Amino acid sequence: MSTLFAFQLRRVGRNRQFLFFTVLLPALFTIFFTQVFGAQAGAAAQYQAYATASMVSMMAYGALGAALGATIRISFDRASGWLRQLRVTPVATSSVVAVDVLVGMLLTLPSLVVVALVGRLVNGVELPLSTWAGLVAVLWLGSGAFVALGLLVGHSLEDKAAGGAIGILGVVLAALGGLWVPVQLFPESLRALAHTLPSYWYAELGREVVAGDGPALLTVLAVAGFAAAFAVLTAVVLRRRPLHAVAG
Amino acid sequence: MPPGTALDIRDLTVRYGDTTAVDGLDLQLRTGETVALLGPNGAGKSTVVNAVLGLVPSTGTVRVLGRTPAAAVRAGCVGAMLQHGGLPGESRVREVVELVRRSCPRSWPLDDLVVTAGIDGLLGRPVDALSGGQRQRVLLALALAGEPPLLLLDEPTSAMDVEGRRAFWTTMRRLADRGTTVVFATHHLEEADAVADRVVVVAGGQVVADGTAAQVKAGIAGRTVTFTADEDWRFAGLPGVTAADRQGERISLTTDNVEATLLALLAGGRRLPDLQVRGASLEEAVLSLTSRSRTPIGADR
Repeated sequence: MSTLFAFQLRRVGRNRQFLFFTVLLPALFTIFFTQVFGAQAGAAAQYQAYATASMVSMMAYGALGAALGATIRISFDRASGWLRQLRVTPVATSSVVAVDVLVGMLLTLPSLVVVALVGRLVNGVELPLSTWAGLVAVLWLGSGAFVALGLLVGHSLEDKAAGGAIGILGVVLAALGGLWVPVQLFPESLRALAHTLPSYWYAELGREVVAGDGPALLTVLAVAGFAAAFAVLTAVVLRRRPLHAVAG
Repeated sequence: MPPGTALDIRDLTVRYGDTTAVDGLDLQLRTGETVALLGPNGAGKSTVVNAVLGLVPSTGTVRVLGRTPAAAVRAGCVGAMLQHGGLPGESRVREVVELVRRSCPRSWPLDDLVVTAGIDGLLGRPVDALSGGQRQRVLLALALAGEPPLLLLDEPTSAMDVEGRRAFWTTMRRLADRGTTVVFATHHLEEADAVADRVVVVAGGQVVADGTAAQVKAGIAGRTVTFTADEDWRFAGLPGVTAADRQGERISLTTDNVEATLLALLAGGRRLPDLQVRGASLEEAVLSLTSRSRTPIGADR
């Protein structure tokens, strides 16, 4: 399994565009939002609150994009026949899926860490060291829900559709989940919609950590519930959808 | 299962929705045999290969060297070139070959594998930069990586040029000499004839003929007699006729004895407008085999 893990990691590492969009873009957004809107803050405390909130949102956005982006490859591997080829080697299907999860989770770390560093070093966000550690840890674990969602999309859709679907999904989850504009600014109906999205609860995990209380049980259950639902659906698709064209 | 059996298939049935792709197929292969699964497109050859690999749900039993398909694949007992197999993008040939080699319980030494599969000079190449023939050779290397005692090849030469085919079959003969059991699906009679020491003709998801290439060819070396007739004769019972077909006024008879069939047709001074006699194509031959009994050719004829 370690051989497969190294193999998959090397493949993703070759994809520079992926690294650009999942690491650099949220980092630049963090600076942009904080410099543009944070400048309007009156008091230092108000600036801190704004800079922290936008950093948490962008960490969530970056990790969400990375988790989904890392799994587009699955639909390509399915279309090219590689997943089918792997099935006739001694590599177990469970290992293939486990490695996809591991790689997906590993790839969310750079965006989380880089955006946090930008928040600290460029925007001057100040948090206790334990809170920084807790924030990264919680958002990292929570990103598993989006890795599971990416696995579901990657295994369910054709390669031509999956790329677009994942792009749209990322934008919808970010926008409606309140990662770009805080849900407090949403009209009532949109706010209710946000509460049905995994992205809202995921960012909520981070917000609760920086507030100093640690994540609430409801929030943890919500993110874990989404993760479990996506995982179960992926398992169903893996079982049902053949890895090949049905022919003579 | 008697010792020396590489592959034991009993009452194998595979259904896709309402379509029965393989219909109660029985087949036993001895260790070291080179066997062609011959048949027209849609005959069920690929499905048999996929069922042996555990890629499609099936009923009946399949044992590969005494193991279930999934266990055999895990144990590295079977290597396969699939019709719709592929290689991963954003990787290099060496990485893919090493991945599969390292996942196998036994593995073919890389230097030797590279020569056998004919991929020397390709190891450093990005997979996306390979030609069709080169891809096939890399897929062959993956199939051989675990030194499997059973090799399953589904239309392996479809993307190869003449030179590539010749080299490929030379390699297969060398593997057979080492004791590898080689099974390949093809719809080329010539390929089966040149390479296999046993030919299994599959049609309608069943084995309709099984023997050496010579025996099968003798069995299917029928001829087709076509002519126009407006009368409604009973053609199927004529001497030599194995299959009869009518399309409008055009009658088409498959026969294994042209002379007897023609004599019977012409008896009584009948006229046979537009009479033509030609060798049966494989397609027609297989059709004629399907319409006959399922007694294996060479068994008792």
